[in-house]
Amino acid sequence: MNHQAWLAALTSELHRHGVDRELAGHIVAEAAAHLYDSGEPPTAVFGDPAEYATDVVRSVGGPAQLPRRAGPGPVRLDVRDVSKRYRRRTVLDKVRLTVRAGEIAAVVGANGSGKSTLLRICAGLASPDSGQVVVNGTFGYCPQAGGTADFLYPEEHFTLVGAGRGFTRERSRAAGRAQAAVLDWDAATKLQARQLSGGTRQKLNLVLAGLGDPDLLLLDEPYQGFDRGTYLDFWHEVWRWRDAGKAVVVVTHLLNQLDRVDLVLDLTNQPEGADAPDRTSGRDEAGRLDRADGTGREAGR
Amino acid sequence: MWRKLDSGAILPRVDQERRGQWLRGVLDLCVLGALHRHESYGYELAQSLQAAGLGPIKGGTLYPVLLRLQRTGLVSAQWRDGAGGPARKYYQLTPSGAAALRQAATDWRAFSGGVDTILQEVTAP
Repeated sequence: MNHQAWLAALTSELHRHGVDRELAGHIVAEAAAHLYDSGEPPTAVFGDPAEYATDVVRSVGGPAQLPRRAGPGPVRLDVRDVSKRYRRRTVLDKVRLTVRAGEIAAVVGANGSGKSTLLRICAGLASPDSGQVVVNGTFGYCPQAGGTADFLYPEEHFTLVGAGRGFTRERSRAAGRAQAAVLDWDAATKLQARQLSGGTRQKLNLVLAGLGDPDLLLLDEPYQGFDRGTYLDFWHEVWRWRDAGKAVVVVTHLLNQLDRVDLVLDLTNQPEGADAPDRTSGRDEAGRLDRADGTGREAGR
Repeated sequence: MWRKLDSGAILPRVDQERRGQWLRGVLDLCVLGALHRHESYGYELAQSLQAAGLGPIKGGTLYPVLLRLQRTGLVSAQWRDGAGGPARKYYQLTPSGAAALRQAATDWRAFSGGVDTILQEVTAP
């Protein structure tokens, strides 16, 4: 690994650990100066960038673990025994999910297990055959695909969606640009949505979902096409939303983030029949509970 | 000296491990001690600690120590332009760092004196 590649890897690892940009810049610049002086290969001096980043984070006392906020707030989303069939195939079978303010719920499951259908029902874009969805507060929805208008510029999208929230054009654009910057994207581009790369269009989608600070965010695999850095930015944004008291539902098939969410709803192998058990599980069942009050809460009821 | 006595390959490796353990215990004090003489930057500190006989000190070991000392306020740091090279981060001992160093130097002398007393019986001719 050459110097530049090693330093770039260190930068993204520090970012992944939540080290702020300024401090990360200092750490990387100092390592670069050392390599310049010593002329030795980076791995011989500093070792693996990920391990070095971990050591550094421990030294600066950075947020290796996100601080837990106080207990979860009021219920924002309540999915009550929702069932959905397409022709003769049961897609959702008495699904229950309760998400409170300050919680992240991950919806996982194989392809075709109804993850997107569930989110569309939560967003009011599809109707359940039976059951009920109750949303308390405002919500933003980021679909897996679509959701953008081919011939509009990103800033026009902000204006359009912001108008639905009662925002002025200026306020919408400022909010959109700020949110885009979090994802390392300059939204003041002169490209129409159809000209954006798939990953950038998903950034636009995600920004639109968060525009106007909704109480509940419904995100359907919003990171498709994201590079690794943006993917990490995305999760940091999700954790920030949670810490700001938002309720977040994320459809995902990538399981490596599940230890940092509060609830997991697994839609794989939904049992057929009337007596569907509650399939949500809290962190407590996974043995990773670190709630401030130390008590496990029966999740999803 | 020990290198001459030992012809096997195992002893040096064990010694490397032990040296690493010792270093972990005292590297922060040695860094403070080196900064007591004059302000310095990471690479130069590594060089001077090696010259003092501590052996090679990797950046991966040294900089986390410097960052911890900075976080706890025992050293402060300033970026300065390097002569013909990249900018360097210079570390200085703070007053509380100097106080901590004095105390630790006293403690270390008492501790290492105890170790010396025990080991002297072994190495004495």
